[in-house]
Amino acid sequence: MKIKNIIYLLFIAILGSSCEDVIDVDVDQGPEKLIVDAFVNNLPDKQVIRITKSIPYFAKPGSEPGVEGATVAIVDTTGGNTKLFLFADSGKGNYIFHPDASTGDTFTVGHNHILLVVQGGDTLVSLATMNKTALIDSLQIKYEDGSTIGFKKGNYVELRAKDLPGYGNTYWVKTFVNDTFKNGIFDINLAYDMTQTPNNQDGGEFIWPIKYGAINNFQEPKPTGTKIRVEIHSISVETFYYINQIFSENQNGGLFATPPINIGTNIFNFNSKKKRAVGGFFSISDVSRKVVVIP
Amino acid sequence: MRIVLFLLATLFMGSAFSQQKYSISGYVRDTNSGESIHSAVIYNVEANVQSTTNNYGFYSLGLMSGLQSIKVSAAGMQSKEFQILLLSDTAIDFFMSPTEKTIGIATVRGKKSENVKNIDISTQTITSQTIKQIPAFLGEADVIKSVQLLPGVSSVGEGASGFNVRGGGIDQNLVLMDEAPVFNSAHLFGFFSIFNPDAVKDVQLVKGGIPANYGGRLSSTLDVRMKDGNNKKYEANGGIGTIFSRATIEGPIVKNKASFLLAGRRSYIDVLAKPFLNSDLKGSQFYFYDFTGKVNYRRKRDNFYISTYIGDDAFSAQNAFGVKWGNTTATARWNHVFNKKLFSNFTYFYSRYRYNIEFNSKDADFNWQSYIVNNSAKADFNWYASSKHEILFGAQSTYYTFKPGKAVVNNNNGTTDFSLPDKFGLENAVYIAEEFNPSGKFSYRLGLRVSNFMYLGKGNAYYYKPAVETGDRRFIDYVKYYNQNEVIANYTNLEPRFGFKYQMGQQSSVKGGYNRMVQNLHLISNTAASVPFDVWQPSTNNILPEKADQYTLGYFKNWGKGDDFESSFEVYYKDLKNQVDYVDGANLLLNEYLEGDLLTGKGRAFGAEWYIRKVTGKLTGWISYTLSKSERLVNGINDNRWYPNRFDRKHNLYIIANYKLNEKFSFSGNFVVSSGTPTTFYAGQYNIQGYTVPDAGSNARNNVRNPIYHRLDLSVTYTVKKRKRWESNWVLSCYNVYNRRNPFSIYFATNYQNTGNNAAIRYSVIGSFIPALSYNFKWN
Repeated sequence: MKIKNIIYLLFIAILGSSCEDVIDVDVDQGPEKLIVDAFVNNLPDKQVIRITKSIPYFAKPGSEPGVEGATVAIVDTTGGNTKLFLFADSGKGNYIFHPDASTGDTFTVGHNHILLVVQGGDTLVSLATMNKTALIDSLQIKYEDGSTIGFKKGNYVELRAKDLPGYGNTYWVKTFVNDTFKNGIFDINLAYDMTQTPNNQDGGEFIWPIKYGAINNFQEPKPTGTKIRVEIHSISVETFYYINQIFSENQNGGLFATPPINIGTNIFNFNSKKKRAVGGFFSISDVSRKVVVIP
Repeated sequence: MRIVLFLLATLFMGSAFSQQKYSISGYVRDTNSGESIHSAVIYNVEANVQSTTNNYGFYSLGLMSGLQSIKVSAAGMQSKEFQILLLSDTAIDFFMSPTEKTIGIATVRGKKSENVKNIDISTQTITSQTIKQIPAFLGEADVIKSVQLLPGVSSVGEGASGFNVRGGGIDQNLVLMDEAPVFNSAHLFGFFSIFNPDAVKDVQLVKGGIPANYGGRLSSTLDVRMKDGNNKKYEANGGIGTIFSRATIEGPIVKNKASFLLAGRRSYIDVLAKPFLNSDLKGSQFYFYDFTGKVNYRRKRDNFYISTYIGDDAFSAQNAFGVKWGNTTATARWNHVFNKKLFSNFTYFYSRYRYNIEFNSKDADFNWQSYIVNNSAKADFNWYASSKHEILFGAQSTYYTFKPGKAVVNNNNGTTDFSLPDKFGLENAVYIAEEFNPSGKFSYRLGLRVSNFMYLGKGNAYYYKPAVETGDRRFIDYVKYYNQNEVIANYTNLEPRFGFKYQMGQQSSVKGGYNRMVQNLHLISNTAASVPFDVWQPSTNNILPEKADQYTLGYFKNWGKGDDFESSFEVYYKDLKNQVDYVDGANLLLNEYLEGDLLTGKGRAFGAEWYIRKVTGKLTGWISYTLSKSERLVNGINDNRWYPNRFDRKHNLYIIANYKLNEKFSFSGNFVVSSGTPTTFYAGQYNIQGYTVPDAGSNARNNVRNPIYHRLDLSVTYTVKKRKRWESNWVLSCYNVYNRRNPFSIYFATNYQNTGNNAAIRYSVIGSFIPALSYNFKWN
């Protein structure tokens, strides 16, 4: 919420006397949740599903304990020809599937996939369809001469790609700099058709913030030799909203904070008896990608 | 002082002594300024009956013929006694002098024993003098800040707009300025209120047992009465402070008949700050101003008043963006005395609250406006049926126009309009109340208000499907278009009111009250602190009228020979219905389907209030302690369990003292201790694709308490020796003397400043002590 931030700045500007301190707070942790982080795709790369437990809010992020000993599989049920993709327990909560290099057998566009996780008496199930993704025409190098306020002189990358025809196509555009995924919260780059929200603008080139704004940091031009890879992952509309919620909750806080929201999940616990609370998401993507090296 | 008046208005002397019944009526006024005095008591010793002046200073009292003793008393005024030889119905205006005539630091003498003897429960009046005595933030006497020191009143903290009364939200207070409601009483996010203390006569807060002539808000009525203007001689008041300056001029247009008042304030923090603003803020403007103008004209049976208020806060930077918000009101009133027993007042008012936000950049500009306007006409009658019975009745009609948001973006791609359509509402109310004030021990007030609210076209009405799961967003089912003035939703409510007093000797009484209140305007806000950009919504086919039932009981006792101490103990219980809350991730601004994001719940609030006030002597002041709880229950929030309201504070202790050393120096202090307000924290976290996902767990609400709040403020006033018509004083004040960092809020920060850790941040709006010097003057 932009307005909120402006008000906040205004407030600080007016009152030189205000101050912020980090303090200790006791919060009762809610029920521990079993978390399934299952974002997979049809690239010929190693596919990882992580199973962890939630931790208290003030614990060190990233220290979530991995859950071992689970059976994890994705089943493609479309067309009566059931295919099973087993994910092997490789410890610390990581479950790995390598697409068969010889056959190239992996997930199929347009097919429904079922995620199955069996652990500690719980059976977790989720369903996702792999949508087709938008193709990347090219990655263009653009030179900014520094005359525009907020843009440092140098080279940047622009994505040339068109949204697929038809309403309700959603994508997650990922940028890798020298093979490292830009994973900052403000690097999250989602598209709903051509734009960032559902507003019936369809089939054209992605708008400026998607194709250019979120791919670059205009204070850091790309030096010569930098390898930039951009991937467009098709996601479901549910996944689009899920990532959006993570984005907005990561920014919530401050004087004009709104009450925390309960971020949902598309994973269900089929244990009929005592159910463990579950969280996380199952998403399966078709991916297009292109690489460019800054000259 | 004893004055003997012989009123030989009739020749039928003989009949006078056969004990016939007559009445005296008229106004009570200030000798110096001619200002009317409300709530003054005209007491007849022989018959032990009394009348209290109404808001316009009018009274009527039935008496037996013959020689009668009359005592007149009022807050801040010297009591007077008169002997009247009453031989017919007679009009008498009483003139009273203030107890002391110094500006700012007068020792305020309360109405003797009035708090024990009148029927009003949960009611407090603060005079302009008292407001000026209280040490204030940056030395600026402030109406709302003073009200926040009364029992049962609290606020979320420094920088929070508005105030909370007995566990009610800030939008549940009817704040009236010369009878016109104002929708945002704050300048600068609540650091100052919009009322110029030099133009204020007094303020009255009614928290319980609310009489039938008030309606429309659940929790309280704050009636801010502005001065009419001195009709005897010219007078100027003003002050030069750290943050703003103010000036008031008043005087007669026609002596004793017509007068005017002009009052204005403007902050100059932007002017002073200019040299210190760095590149980002260069060219910034931030200021507020307000202006009050009034004229009035008196005839024998009629008084006419016209008043207006205009105020704005504005902030802008480098033409890149600008925000502005403020109230405008205009009131026209006509008092007419039909006869000795029937007084009437007719009012028309216009009130508007609006805000405007603008962004401008090379490629695009954005303009957003929102407002609420109401036009209202009302008539109020006081019928003095007998010396024991007074009947009040009247009617009011208000037409509302809501502009929830007009938002337009212009950019290279053309113009995009996000505007929401206007909404309309009509509120009508009639009321009747009876006050029975016998000479015996028991008196009562009985009233009924019938209110009706119609949500009107033209425009679309939205009808929603039930939520998939309780607490979820509801999606649109169908939309229906309504023509202009077509009724979309219609609500009629009965609002019974009741109050009683049982007198126990001269110095103590027990009082009780019940009121039902209905509210058809809702402030839509789900942020920790309310912001000026929150939007008011009418009751609609989806938003039901909020309702509250309040029961209150109190014991009132005065102490000392001259009623030197006043004290009270009150308990209350409040039951609230149709309280508005929000679904997770609700989108409240510029959302056409806002109503689908609203939830409805119930609330309850209860508490006890102790209050003791010393009204005489060199040392004056009060101690107020409130023990309270305010919570709500909304299906879909907090696992469907009760949770405390954002403004809930269990303990509130206020100590206010003023010590007048001599004619030159006086000292004031106030000390405030309050339990922390609650706030909501995440219960846990997990990681998805490398991103931290904060987890609200079982949807807990307000699960963490802010630390305790306490603060001491001190001030010293030096009164300069009066020279001819010039009086002045200097006030040196210090806010937050011992440098406490009181939390306005503690809040969560996921990945705080990119440290990779989540943190709890204590935000203190005032992080240090704040000294200030101001100079006040009066010329008369």
